Amino acid sequence: MKITEEVRISDNGFVFNSRTGDSFNVNPTGLELTKLIAQGHDFDTIKNMFLEKYDLDDLTFEKDFYEFCALIKHHQITSQEDPLDFK
Amino acid sequence: MEKIKYEKPSISKINAGMPSKFGLPVKQKVISEIDGIKVSSLIEEYGSPLFVISEKTIREVFADAKRAFENRYPKVQFAWSYKTNYLDAVCSIYHDEGSWAEVVSGFEFEKALSNGVNGSQILFNGPDKSKDDLIMAIKNNACIHIDHFDELYLLIETSRELQMKARVAIRVNLDAGVYPIWDRFGFNYENGDAWNAINRIMLAESLELIGLHTHIGTYIMVQTAYAIAASKLANLYMAIHRKFDYWLKYIDLGGGFASKNTLKGAYMPGNETCPSFDDYAEAISNALISSEIPHENLPVLFLETGRALIDDAGYLLTTVIANKRLNSGRRSMVIDAGVNLLFTSFWYNLGVYPTRELGNAEESTIYGPLCMNIDVVRDAIVFPQVKTGEQLVVERVGAYNITQSMQFITYRPNVVLINNDGKTQIIRKKESLETFKQSELNPKRK
Repeated sequence: MKITEEVRISDNGFVFNSRTGDSFNVNPTGLELTKLIAQGHDFDTIKNMFLEKYDLDDLTFEKDFYEFCALIKHHQITSQEDPLDFK
Repeated sequence: MEKIKYEKPSISKINAGMPSKFGLPVKQKVISEIDGIKVSSLIEEYGSPLFVISEKTIREVFADAKRAFENRYPKVQFAWSYKTNYLDAVCSIYHDEGSWAEVVSGFEFEKALSNGVNGSQILFNGPDKSKDDLIMAIKNNACIHIDHFDELYLLIETSRELQMKARVAIRVNLDAGVYPIWDRFGFNYENGDAWNAINRIMLAESLELIGLHTHIGTYIMVQTAYAIAASKLANLYMAIHRKFDYWLKYIDLGGGFASKNTLKGAYMPGNETCPSFDDYAEAISNALISSEIPHENLPVLFLETGRALIDDAGYLLTTVIANKRLNSGRRSMVIDAGVNLLFTSFWYNLGVYPTRELGNAEESTIYGPLCMNIDVVRDAIVFPQVKTGEQLVVERVGAYNITQSMQFITYRPNVVLINNDGKTQIIRKKESLETFKQSELNPKRK
C-alpha cells in the first residue's frame, strides 16, 4: 500500500487528490496515520508508535487502522504497491 | 510519560458546492438522562434495549392539550386512543387525567373495562366488531361508532334480540382537503351515504343516535382540515335537528394530530412544522362555534388524540453492537433495537442521540439487530463515532411502537415507567422462552 503520487497532504489535515479532483479533511490521528503510511512504515511499526504515544489498546488500533486503510483506498488516496506481486 | 487521549482516525470528503441547506452544523444533541435518571443506570438495572415512559411528560403534554381546547370550547372530552399505547399503566394515567377510552376491538374493549373504565365512557370504533363484541358493548352502554351498513344491520338485529337500546354514533368520512381521502372507514358525507345511515338509525327503535364521528387521517399537518371536517359534521348535526327535532350529544373529531416526529422526506424537522394543540384547537373551536349550531345546543367535542399526546413521553434506550464500513465507504452501525421494536421507523426519521458528547460526526446508516435487510432504523443520519457498547437514546417513540412491536427473532424488552416521583418500575416484563412455552402446543410424536 502506498500513497498515490497525485495526492498532496498538508500539515493541517487537508488532503487533495489531483487525479480525481477530490479533497478531504483528516483528523489529527488520521493525518498522522496517512503520513506514516506515506513514509512507508509497515503496520507493526505504526502500531507500536501509536501504542507508545496514545492511550490505546492493540485490538482497537488494529480495527481502526484497517478501517482507515479501507477508507483511504476507497477514496483512491492509496493504491496497491505492486498489483502483480510476482517478485 | 502520560499518554495522549486517542481519537479514532477519520477522513471526510469535502463536497464543495453542496452546503447544508440548514447552514452550519448544529451542536450534536445529547440525551444522558430521562427525568433526572441516568440512561446508563436505567440500562444497568433493566437491560438493553429498554422502552422508557415518562409519566411527567404524559401529564404535561395532556395538560397542554386540555388547556388549548378548554380555553376555546365549552364542552371538551378526551378519549384515550388505546391502540396508540395500551399498556395498562399508560392508560391508567390518561384515565386519571379524565380521559375516556377509545377502542377499536373487542380485546381493547375488555382492556378498558379491566382498567376500570365505565362502559358508558368507552367509544367503540373500528371496522371489525363481532356480534359478541356488540353484545358486550350494548350491555355496557358504550358509544358504538358504526362503520358500515352491515354493522348497522347486525347492531339492529343484536339489540332487538337483547331487547336493549344501543347508543350509537356513525363514523363519517369526508373530503377535508387532505388527500388521499380516508374513505374506507364509515359512511361518506359527500355522496349522501352518511345521511342515509342517519335516517335508517333514526327509524330503528332499538338504536339511539347520540353522536357523529370522523377520523380524517393520521399525522395531519394542516389544522384547517379539521375546520372543514368540523363544519361538515356541524351541517349534519343541524340537518338531524331540523328533520327530527332532536339534538345529538356529541361530535367526535377523532385523532390524527401530528406529533413532533419528522416524516421521511420532510424538508424541515417535525418539531418546527407541525401545528401545536393551540393551532388545532383554534381551527376546530372556531368552526363549531361559528357554525349554525345555537350556542346553548353546542355538542360535546370528543377528541381521540393518541400520537400527539404520547409520542414525546416514550424513549427507547439501545446499545451499539458493531460498527461497519459499507462497500460504498459509508459508515454504518448495528444497534440492539431494530424495526421489530421501532415500527414507526418505517415512516419517521427517528431522532437517535448519543448519551455523551462524541466527536467525528459523519453520515451513517443505523441498522437494527435482525437478520433481515429491511432492518434499517435510520438510512442517513449524521452521527458521531461510537464504540461498541456505547449507549444511545431514540426519542419520541411513545406512540404505536410498543403496541405494534413484533415478537420476531428476539424477545421484546422491558418497558419501564418513570413515575411523577422519579421512581422507576417495570410496566411490562421482558419476554422469555417461558412466555412462548405458555401458549405453544407441541403435539407428541411416537
